Amino acid sequence: MNKFKKFVGLLSIVSLIVVSGCGTASNNASPEESSATTTDQPLPKISIFQTKVEIAESLEALAKVYTAETGNEVEVWGSAGDNYSTQLQIHLGANSGPTIFTVSFGSDADKLQSYFSDLSDVPTTKDIAPNMALERDGKIVGIPLGVEGFGIVYNKDIVDPGDVTDLASFTNTLEQLKADGLQPFSLSQENSFLITHILNTPFALQPDPQDFIEKLNDGEVKITDTKEFQEFAKFMDVIKAYGKNPMEVTYDTQMGDFATGKTAMIHQGNWSYTMLDDYDNMDDKLGMMPLPIEGNSKLSVGVSQFWVVNADASADEIEAGKQFLNWLYTSDAGKTAIVQDFKLIPAFTTIQADLNPLSNAVYEAAESGQTIPWAFRYFPQNVDLIPVTQQYFLDQNMTGQELLEKFDEEWAKATRSVS
Amino acid sequence: MNTKERAWFLLFTVPLLFIFTTVVVVPFTIGIFYSFIAWDGISANPKTFVGFKNFIDLFRDEQFYSSAWHTVKFTVLSLLGVNIVGIVLSLLVTSNLKVKHAARTMFFLPNLIGGLILGYIWKFIFSDVTTLLGEKTGMDVLFFNWLLNPQSALYAMVIVFAWQMAGYTMLIYVAGILGIPDEMLEAAKVDGANLWQRTTRIIFPLLMPAFTICLFLTLSGAFKVYDINLSLTGGGPFKATEMFAMNIFNEMFTFSHYGLGQAKAIIFFIVVALITLLQVVITKKREVQM
Amino acid sequence: MVKARVYIFEVFLFILALVFLSPIYIMVVNSFKSRAELYENPLALPTSFSFEYYIQAFEKMNFLSGFVNSLYVTVASVVLTVILASMTAWMLARTDNKWSKTIYLVFVATMLIPFQTIMMPLMQSMNWVQTHLNIPMMNTHEGLIYMNVGFNASMAVFLYHGFIKTIPVALEEAAELEGCNKFRLFWSIVFPMLKTITVTIAIINIMGVWNDFLLPSLVLTDKSLRTIPLSMFYFFGEFTIVWNLAMAGLTLTIIPVVIFYMFAQKYMIKGITAGALK
Repeated sequence: MNKFKKFVGLLSIVSLIVVSGCGTASNNASPEESSATTTDQPLPKISIFQTKVEIAESLEALAKVYTAETGNEVEVWGSAGDNYSTQLQIHLGANSGPTIFTVSFGSDADKLQSYFSDLSDVPTTKDIAPNMALERDGKIVGIPLGVEGFGIVYNKDIVDPGDVTDLASFTNTLEQLKADGLQPFSLSQENSFLITHILNTPFALQPDPQDFIEKLNDGEVKITDTKEFQEFAKFMDVIKAYGKNPMEVTYDTQMGDFATGKTAMIHQGNWSYTMLDDYDNMDDKLGMMPLPIEGNSKLSVGVSQFWVVNADASADEIEAGKQFLNWLYTSDAGKTAIVQDFKLIPAFTTIQADLNPLSNAVYEAAESGQTIPWAFRYFPQNVDLIPVTQQYFLDQNMTGQELLEKFDEEWAKATRSVS
Repeated sequence: MNTKERAWFLLFTVPLLFIFTTVVVVPFTIGIFYSFIAWDGISANPKTFVGFKNFIDLFRDEQFYSSAWHTVKFTVLSLLGVNIVGIVLSLLVTSNLKVKHAARTMFFLPNLIGGLILGYIWKFIFSDVTTLLGEKTGMDVLFFNWLLNPQSALYAMVIVFAWQMAGYTMLIYVAGILGIPDEMLEAAKVDGANLWQRTTRIIFPLLMPAFTICLFLTLSGAFKVYDINLSLTGGGPFKATEMFAMNIFNEMFTFSHYGLGQAKAIIFFIVVALITLLQVVITKKREVQM
Repeated sequence: MVKARVYIFEVFLFILALVFLSPIYIMVVNSFKSRAELYENPLALPTSFSFEYYIQAFEKMNFLSGFVNSLYVTVASVVLTVILASMTAWMLARTDNKWSKTIYLVFVATMLIPFQTIMMPLMQSMNWVQTHLNIPMMNTHEGLIYMNVGFNASMAVFLYHGFIKTIPVALEEAAELEGCNKFRLFWSIVFPMLKTITVTIAIINIMGVWNDFLLPSLVLTDKSLRTIPLSMFYFFGEFTIVWNLAMAGLTLTIIPVVIFYMFAQKYMIKGITAGALK
């Protein structure tokens, strides 16, 4: 009992010291920190925050190489999946933002643009492939991480792309595959894979997608009145009629069904290769083709993420950030890591790609200009098309045409109430 | 209170109050200010004072009402589920059974799996395992993908929440039951009271304080539920299970209406606080007499 | 007859436990499977029990460093919470005036605030403290501990308050008459009586702090400071989870807590039979 009393007494004293002494204990650390930013040390430690969890580990390793080569320190932060944008927003809001972070194109970039530094003087930006940099007022503010593309990923053993060139042949092929006892075509329940990506094609087929979306926001045009969407609706009806209900399919099962030959076609992108790679002997069977709305023969290709340097950081830190990005795309270690470890399709003329079958399809499309842009990045942030799409797939009687009407309604509702 | 007593009072309470104020009260108060401001949540972007506009807007938002309604339904069902299961478990693991120690650990284990991954595991159970069971047993009335139906998706959330929280409340009920003097139960046994009588006449009344606590913990847990909501249903199908915390979170961070989201949070807090404080005040009054 | 009934009870308990444990079964078996094997049948036992994924998860997560960090943050947060909350709750429960009632109600009311709604202003004020008062709240374990204590305070006060009310005041009054000051009175007489609820609060808070992701993810950015849940981020991609590593990592994470919980349970029961105060 006595021992217990002593222990408790000790603990309470310690706790009081810790509580009241929080300031003193921590003061020791702060001078070092502030000195790091104020002294004339050429390059302060910088931090990187990025959304691609898949490359996090390689990036950390690369940061170590950078430190070893140049003596400059880089800290890579961790973030789990979809938590990224919220965390970034909070860190920026608390003035404790990272030096380098990633943004995607369109609405996301617009929202954060006051944080972009001018990167035009970074030497490597001149090597960026045409139209691939993120620009603001003629200045380069974002460096592309890599190019990505999506379309119909198909199993070469089962499907001949020559049979999928327009609505009629698409329908016939699905019907035939279904009759053969296969799952002909599959979407999956995740927001992007359920509707956002597949909806890109009719938007991107507009003469000027960005302009079209603006008109849509202003209520000057309607999705229901536009012919590409009318055909899109028919495609969706065919997918609904012959495919498995995507609400019952997760990305994981979609990939599994495809890899094991149960599903013939999926609407996916080159990123899914990392999952297919976990199954045996996939490489020879993989192909990617366009979604043939109105006979479309182009893949949807875009830059998924851009590196930007936080304009809120100190001048030294911005300089250090630029140097790191330049090193990343010019040094041998950086170039190798981008293609081999990050497995990205580089948007640089100076970096040779090292490609898997899916990336190769995207790369070839990009090389030959057979691409349509990622128009969905321009969707206003509060347009939420997911609930109505879920309803479409769960309600047997709902038609594609009705889905389009719901899209129009949702669009009007979201863009009308601005706060 | 004399000066000396006041000094003791301050010495005992101020350290925690200070920490608590800086960590919880101050940020919450700042949040109240944000609710009068139109802002997209990016600190470099402009903030404009809009008075009560956000509060007016939120009452026009249908999703606000429907998520409020889902939250109420979810909370009532969870309250029942969690506490009934919790009490049953606590009685089981305090009985004279050989396996009670093992059982006590097993029932508590669900608590150890954090919210997100727990939701993913259950999502898999509800979508894949139940459909498999349905095929195997032919009972597809009961075994189907619960997450695809607006009604059953909500029940699925209740089940997962109960599964997780029951072990937690069990712990508190166990603490209460262990506090009941053995002599009292022995005496009742000698007097010929059977198990049911002993449970309802002696254990339950003496468990009242634990009951109050568990009720409140479940209530606040259910009202704030977010992790399970996100990972299990994501608010779907078509927003039928979007709870309040998720609605607020989306408003703030997905749709970039930070001020509106804060206004929702304030209204939500006021309503819930009134209800639960009422509950605490009532039950506290009853406890004093015990 | 009685024996048979106990037997049935045990079987019932066993089945119940099985239902409770099925998700944990799924977690453990799938920590041994490759993606292809998981896809084939997530319920089946793995074809081989190699600890390959555990080793990978252990290395990727930098488990040891994460463990030490988690241990420090958890123990410090919980010990401080218990000490400060028990003292506060006792004072509030034993002082019958408007102030103590108001403070108590504020504590209770704030338990209803979803963390998501205050995380932005919280980070802003903590960063303000850091830059203006030079107290490093961000990116330090101590800052995280401080915030944990603040967030855990309400529930701990609430639980202590409830149990202190059930303890007779007579004992304390007698000690006070003998000239015992409040500090000694509390630590030598009151606190020992709160053992059961202290263990309960400790268990609840340890679970909470040990598994917490959101708050530490905002506070700790340096790699060397990561707690275990933070170091699991590698396994959670944008659209998919690296299931085997995530499950293995999760299993590794909860094993220490299970062990702790089993010890705490034993102590709780011993404490009650030995104390026999109530």
